[in-house]
Amino acid sequence: MTFRIGRRQFLMGSSALIAAGAAGFSPAFAQGNPLRMIWWGGQARADRTLAVADAYADAKGITPLEGEFLSWNDYWPKLATQTAGGTAPDILQMDYRFIVEYASRNAIAPLDEYVGGVLDLSDFDEDQLEGGKVGGKLYGLSLGANSVAMLANSTAFEEAGLTVPGMDWTYDTLRELGEAFKAANIRGGMKAMSDASGAEPMLDNWIRQRGKALYTPEGKLGPDADDMVEWFTMWNEFRDAGYIVSAEDNALDTGAPETSMVAMSKAALLPSNSNQLVIHQSVSKDNLTITSYPRIAAGVGGGHYRKPSQFWSIAGSSQNKEAAAEFLSYFINDTEAGKVLGVERGIPCSAKVRDAVAPTLSEQDQIALNFVANLGDLLGPLPASPPNAAGEIDTSLLRVLSQEVAFGARSAEDAGKFFVEEATAILNRAAV
Amino acid sequence: MTINAADAAVHNAASRRSIWSRAWENHAPGYLFLLPWLIGFIGLTVGPIISSFYLSFTNFDLLTPARWVGLENYQRMFTNDRNFAAAMRVTFTFVLFSVPLKLAFALLVAILLNRGMKGLPLYRALFYLPSLLGASVAIAILWRQIFAGDGLVNQFLANFGIIGPSWISNPNYSLWTLIILSVWQFGSPMIIFLAGLRQIPQDMYEAASLDGAGKWRQFWKITVPLLTPVIFFNAIIQTINSFQSFTPAFIISNGTGSPINSTLFYALYLYNEAFSFFRMGYASALAWFLLFLIACFTAFSFLTSKYWVHYDD
Repeated sequence: MTFRIGRRQFLMGSSALIAAGAAGFSPAFAQGNPLRMIWWGGQARADRTLAVADAYADAKGITPLEGEFLSWNDYWPKLATQTAGGTAPDILQMDYRFIVEYASRNAIAPLDEYVGGVLDLSDFDEDQLEGGKVGGKLYGLSLGANSVAMLANSTAFEEAGLTVPGMDWTYDTLRELGEAFKAANIRGGMKAMSDASGAEPMLDNWIRQRGKALYTPEGKLGPDADDMVEWFTMWNEFRDAGYIVSAEDNALDTGAPETSMVAMSKAALLPSNSNQLVIHQSVSKDNLTITSYPRIAAGVGGGHYRKPSQFWSIAGSSQNKEAAAEFLSYFINDTEAGKVLGVERGIPCSAKVRDAVAPTLSEQDQIALNFVANLGDLLGPLPASPPNAAGEIDTSLLRVLSQEVAFGARSAEDAGKFFVEEATAILNRAAV
Repeated sequence: MTINAADAAVHNAASRRSIWSRAWENHAPGYLFLLPWLIGFIGLTVGPIISSFYLSFTNFDLLTPARWVGLENYQRMFTNDRNFAAAMRVTFTFVLFSVPLKLAFALLVAILLNRGMKGLPLYRALFYLPSLLGASVAIAILWRQIFAGDGLVNQFLANFGIIGPSWISNPNYSLWTLIILSVWQFGSPMIIFLAGLRQIPQDMYEAASLDGAGKWRQFWKITVPLLTPVIFFNAIIQTINSFQSFTPAFIISNGTGSPINSTLFYALYLYNEAFSFFRMGYASALAWFLLFLIACFTAFSFLTSKYWVHYDD
């Protein structure tokens, strides 16, 4: 038996479908355009962000905001595609790494005309405000300061009969800890630290302590070949001595918290960021805490800086820039909103909000807040935002080279020279 | 004379019209039903293909309008891009090993299944299962667990006193774990082989065994020659698929091609250029070069096929 649809039925059916479709769409038109926002992050961030957005919409009596969130890796392709198609959401989360790229292409809008109007920044930290500027204009509102921080498994330190190093520790301390962990031999040979030879923030911190920066304000490469050779040689020494995890183990880390060397109990220390203590703790059974990155020598400071962990920016294509700016003003200034958001994105940049939030924080949030607030002599100046090609140099050069050295496919001397040559070439190509 | 010619013209026109209108009457519903697919095909496939060809001659970066750069992208590919060379090496190694291994394995299982046993449909389904799962994210994550330093494989080897390396994160072996993953997904060529084996007339085997040919000889002289059209088809499909392989490498190395670019598949590299480094123009050029490569391989297969593929039924 065959089932037939006559032309008449087909046409009737399809017009019914079209009618149904139109009916489904019409309420959306009637609602006007709600503000749309997009960010990267996990469920916890989404819950907090949407709660604040809903509270704002309720208070203002407007249509609820539409929110969308993705993981970091999926976020940038999606945002770039939406931007190219002219359909980027009104409000978007921006990173220090990409803000120049987006601002210089007008993909995000300058906010200066709203400052003092709908956008209240009277209580905002000056250095965090600077971080959101490109070419003197404000393009991003920092959602919280954070700093690089060394994640430490305090349970493992206790097991080994050691204490987590304080903020005055040095690379020599790391050598001592390496020996101590070797001697303690806990959990099947846990090492003192992960292999950070390919970790860009760790390299940047090390270079800054030597009075340079990974990238100059003009967007050129900071370290020279000698610096880089020394860097790779130092990590070779640590690896050969067994202070850090093996190349094979380290390559298992894909960047996801659950694959980190600390989560897998292969190392007691892992270079990370202050606001990531919470996410790392969520995948670890041990107690975690944070301390500073090691100093290159006792008393040398200035490697750290209070980095804007992320920004809110407004899309250049947005039709609702003023309404978006008004919402952002609420987001960063309202104390109730601040309590909902906590320090999940970093330490709030408004002093008023910070004071309101502090008593409500969990123990680990307190650790992060205190760490960023008390960097002392470790705190250096905020570097200029990295040039366009910084991401490429990190993923396709530094990480690959560090693995080549770790696996013995390339000597430290060769890798150091090659890094400088190739990074310079990549920067030049991107500058065209 | 003129009247006749005019008549004929009118008549011709009328009959032409009637051919068209008859064709329309006959096929209009068909085309109408085809329309949703056709719109999608033109809008979502043909359109992007054409525009990617244009973009391959530009420096399009998604955020600013494309600027014409001529053959620069293609030039850079061959003269100034060591990652391109690495990606080519990885991809060719993968294709060269995974396709023959997968086909051999699929044929072996198909022959075993073809011998008529109890519960055959169940086995067929079971063997097909990896093909359904293989490209999934879950399996790629599972693969990490199996081939990690303290994974299943090394736990098994430990029984024999062998301390295995961390296969997935050692640049010498990581690509091989992906080749094994690909071979494990032998289900769809197996099903096609099974259908091919069913087509071979049984009397040929009977005649051969009467003439004293053993099983091995029968396999080489009857099964393989009569199966060559199916082998040919499978080889082409699998080669194309292998060239485009993306998901397992993306998941296992989190999109980095780590360690040391040893799993930097061409498609993964292309994706990174497009969406991590925003070089959409260059990525389009890479995509067109991949198309060219696959076309060359396919053409080569077709040209040589007349020497080894037998269509004699």
